[in-house]
Amino acid sequence: MLRLISSSLEIAPSRPPSDGGRPHPRAGLRAGMILVVLMVAVVTAQAHLVRADAVGTGPTGAITGSSTLRGKFVQERRLQGFQAPLRSEGRFMLAPGRGLIWQTLTPFAVTTVITAAGLVQDSDGAETMRLPAARLPFLAKLYDMLGGALAGDWQALGREFTVVRSGDAAAWQVDLQPRTPPDAASMPIRAIRIAGGRFVEQVDLMKEGGDSDSLRFTGQTLSTAPPDAAEIAQLAGVGR
Amino acid sequence: MRRSAAAILLLLVALAAGYLGLRVAHGLSFRTDLLALLPEMPGDAALQRAHDTVTHALGQRIMILVGHPDRDRARAAAVRLTAALLDQGLIAGVDSVPDGDRLRRIGALYYPYRGGLLADADRQSLLHGQGAGLAARALSQVFGLVGMADARLLHGDPFLLMPAFLSKLPVPLSRLTPDDGLLTVRDDGMTWVLVSARLNGEPFALDVQKRFIGGFQRAMADLGADVRVLKLGAVFFADAGARQAMAETSQLGTAATVGSVLLVLVVFRRLAPLWQSLMSIATGILCGLSFSLWWFGALHVVSLLFGMSLIGIAVDYSLYYFTDLFICDGAAPPRRLRRVMPGLALGVLTTLVGYGALLLAPFPGLHQIAVFSAVGLSAAFASVVLWVPFLDRGQDLPHGRPLVATATAVWGFWERPDVRPLRLILAAALVLAGIVGGLRLTVDDDVRRLQSPDAGLLADQHRIQALTGISWSGQFFLVQAADDETALEREEALAGRLAGLAGSGVLAGFQAPAGFIPSAARQRESRRLIHDGLLEPLLAAHVARLGLSVPPQPPPTGDDAPVLTLSAALADGALPVLENLVLKGGPGGVTHAVRLDGIGDVQVVRAAAAGLEGVRFIDPTADFSRLFGAYRDRAVGLLAVSAILMVPLLAVRYRWRGALAVMAPPVAALLLTPALAALVGEPFTFFSAMALILVLSIGVDYAIFCAEARGPRKSVTLLAVCLASLTTLLSFGLLAFSQVFAVHTFGLTMLIGISLSVLLAPIGGLAWRAR
Repeated sequence: MLRLISSSLEIAPSRPPSDGGRPHPRAGLRAGMILVVLMVAVVTAQAHLVRADAVGTGPTGAITGSSTLRGKFVQERRLQGFQAPLRSEGRFMLAPGRGLIWQTLTPFAVTTVITAAGLVQDSDGAETMRLPAARLPFLAKLYDMLGGALAGDWQALGREFTVVRSGDAAAWQVDLQPRTPPDAASMPIRAIRIAGGRFVEQVDLMKEGGDSDSLRFTGQTLSTAPPDAAEIAQLAGVGR
Repeated sequence: MRRSAAAILLLLVALAAGYLGLRVAHGLSFRTDLLALLPEMPGDAALQRAHDTVTHALGQRIMILVGHPDRDRARAAAVRLTAALLDQGLIAGVDSVPDGDRLRRIGALYYPYRGGLLADADRQSLLHGQGAGLAARALSQVFGLVGMADARLLHGDPFLLMPAFLSKLPVPLSRLTPDDGLLTVRDDGMTWVLVSARLNGEPFALDVQKRFIGGFQRAMADLGADVRVLKLGAVFFADAGARQAMAETSQLGTAATVGSVLLVLVVFRRLAPLWQSLMSIATGILCGLSFSLWWFGALHVVSLLFGMSLIGIAVDYSLYYFTDLFICDGAAPPRRLRRVMPGLALGVLTTLVGYGALLLAPFPGLHQIAVFSAVGLSAAFASVVLWVPFLDRGQDLPHGRPLVATATAVWGFWERPDVRPLRLILAAALVLAGIVGGLRLTVDDDVRRLQSPDAGLLADQHRIQALTGISWSGQFFLVQAADDETALEREEALAGRLAGLAGSGVLAGFQAPAGFIPSAARQRESRRLIHDGLLEPLLAAHVARLGLSVPPQPPPTGDDAPVLTLSAALADGALPVLENLVLKGGPGGVTHAVRLDGIGDVQVVRAAAAGLEGVRFIDPTADFSRLFGAYRDRAVGLLAVSAILMVPLLAVRYRWRGALAVMAPPVAALLLTPALAALVGEPFTFFSAMALILVLSIGVDYAIFCAEARGPRKSVTLLAVCLASLTTLLSFGLLAFSQVFAVHTFGLTMLIGISLSVLLAPIGGLAWRAR
């Protein structure tokens, strides 16, 4: 669902030149970083039990202990040049303080594991991407920023995005818009919309150039059981 | 006759002063780079030039890491520091993270040739028939949580091979990551931001050093106390070295000067011997400097310092002359001069032989020292002989009787029959110490140790290396070939070997031109691999899984399709890094450099080039160390030659046996000094060898003085020798206390060598009896 070029090197073009147009190198990376963090943060948000607070917008509160959140997702990616959206489905498992396992099952099996140590993506047991956290300083900053927002501190986030919150605790919505104008190289995002109730239910990303991603989460359950052994092994594999 | 000779000398000195004044008025500066001391390497001019280019570029590089726990503050401080240094014109060519436009240009350069560009790992996969894995990777990037998904890119590069190639370009600074326009590394709660630039000027030029360090410190003061700064660059080391030298010069130099002046004043109780000695040294330095500037055009600072030291022994001649006043027989100056003249003349002649032997070595530095000191010493000698008797008011010094008696006691040790057992014990002790020390003798030519770099800067260097993964060794491979294509193919052969070393601690990484622009042969091979391993068997199914609506347009993979050439990439300018790696070749060939990062084992890396035609491992530090080693060997050889050349000269006056008696003390000092130094764990260096040249010249002088000590001179000669050795020990022996290792070894050698020379000098007195 998210775009991040396969390396920390910022010179991978994500767009070739089309009919004389120049390619747009690096277009994926910054967006990718932002989106990876958003994903983690947003999914983390679901682990925070949403309580109706005074403002009533956005998930607040926190769960403790070894809880896990599991659910299913449907991702629809609309890209120029594709007739139909690229649709994929799968399931995820989030263990706060441990990490996230994101398993795309159809139409192609890809598993992405994100922990504090970094990110590993593999398909059919073959590793296709590995990014250590040390190579993602921007990630850390965004993580702090969004972490702050989830804890009720919207100031840090507000420096980079305009934040509009609406709705109530049962059905809230947060709209984020980058303060810097969209730029293929540094911030190829026009807007982010996050909506939900008890959990985050939908995330939409509008990208520069008309592409967009939308994510829907269903069947989310919070349990107090820790991740199983296989999952713990997967999470540990990132720091290897 | 005597008057006209004195006048001619005055005229010559005035001429020398005029010429020196002219040179100073035109801005006199001395060469300080060690390269200038290198012997010419005929027949390898291209190598020398490449070596110089890379070494020079490295010398100008400056790396600063600005750190703060807060990312934004670290960034702000780095930006501010860069701006301050740029505003003052202190740095140029600040390295920056490629911005959007640069990245677009890089993409545009490569895109048309993507059909022949494969990342190393992808090439290996295709060579092993694992194309399906690459297809799966492309799909995982489209459907996975993170990855590339761009319709137009997939259209032109359905297997996403070009992003993989670009992501594996061998960019340096391996542990640093671009973060919003600045290269950054996070470590232990700190955010470090890199400021990397080129010094605007020569790092070894004193004025550049002063301006840069001054501006840098002002800029640092503005950053705030909680910002941490790590710095690395030749200019910082050079400045610290200059500072230390200044501090030591003022301490040791003051001690030496005050000590010598007091000594002369206390012994003579007159001002005349003092200022007339200084005058003769000044005359010597003036004439030597002026002549060698005219002869060589420019002087190296090392030659200047050694040359001045060697001329310094002229003070012994005036002291030798003035001690004649202690005889108290009322002799007129011309008669006193006649009394000391044989000793003086022989002393100067043997010393000139000693210094002149340096001319036999093919090293420019030693030539300069030889000419400078020989001319200077001759002028100093001439001034003593021609001027001093005119200036000398010639009053006897009756107060010196106890001094003379004390000094004469040394004769007793060598002449009295009753202390013969003591003499034998001393001789045996010296021989034993010489043998034991000789067995322990080690040499040390390591230029890094000889320079004794500042400890704080060394700590910064290690920290920066740990944080960034950048090595500062300056070692590299040089690839020479008839044309670029051949050079690129040679680099690919080298890369194949180096790739196995990377990641094993032997080598962190490397950048070769071929890493950016594969050879035409490699590009054609990649096309075949892509065609046979991906397009032919897998494209149809791959496109179906992707759901592309328009048919893909993979790049042409035929053998006749154009390839990306190095010259095209250089002309394009999208990859400025290439300009540092592709050197201006010599006639009929090209020269490329392969930069190396994080070398853990030099020997293994060096061995990687074994058997590869046109590929050579270059190690400037080791080259300098080898240079010092060569100079050291050469100096020791010349020492032997000059000692042998002195013998016939002495034989004219003392016959052969007498000549050997005169040579015995200095030669014993030469042999024993390194051995005694080794006993206390001191290695033998080039600077020890240079000090031994002085020890030989001075030791021979002492022995000659003793050989000439007959009649009334006998009583005062040892006073002259003791006085001379005390001033020498004050000016050179004190250098043993220097913190700079090179200076320290020089000083220690002088300390031991001169002490031995004085102790043994009376043996020279046997010369006359041997006759």
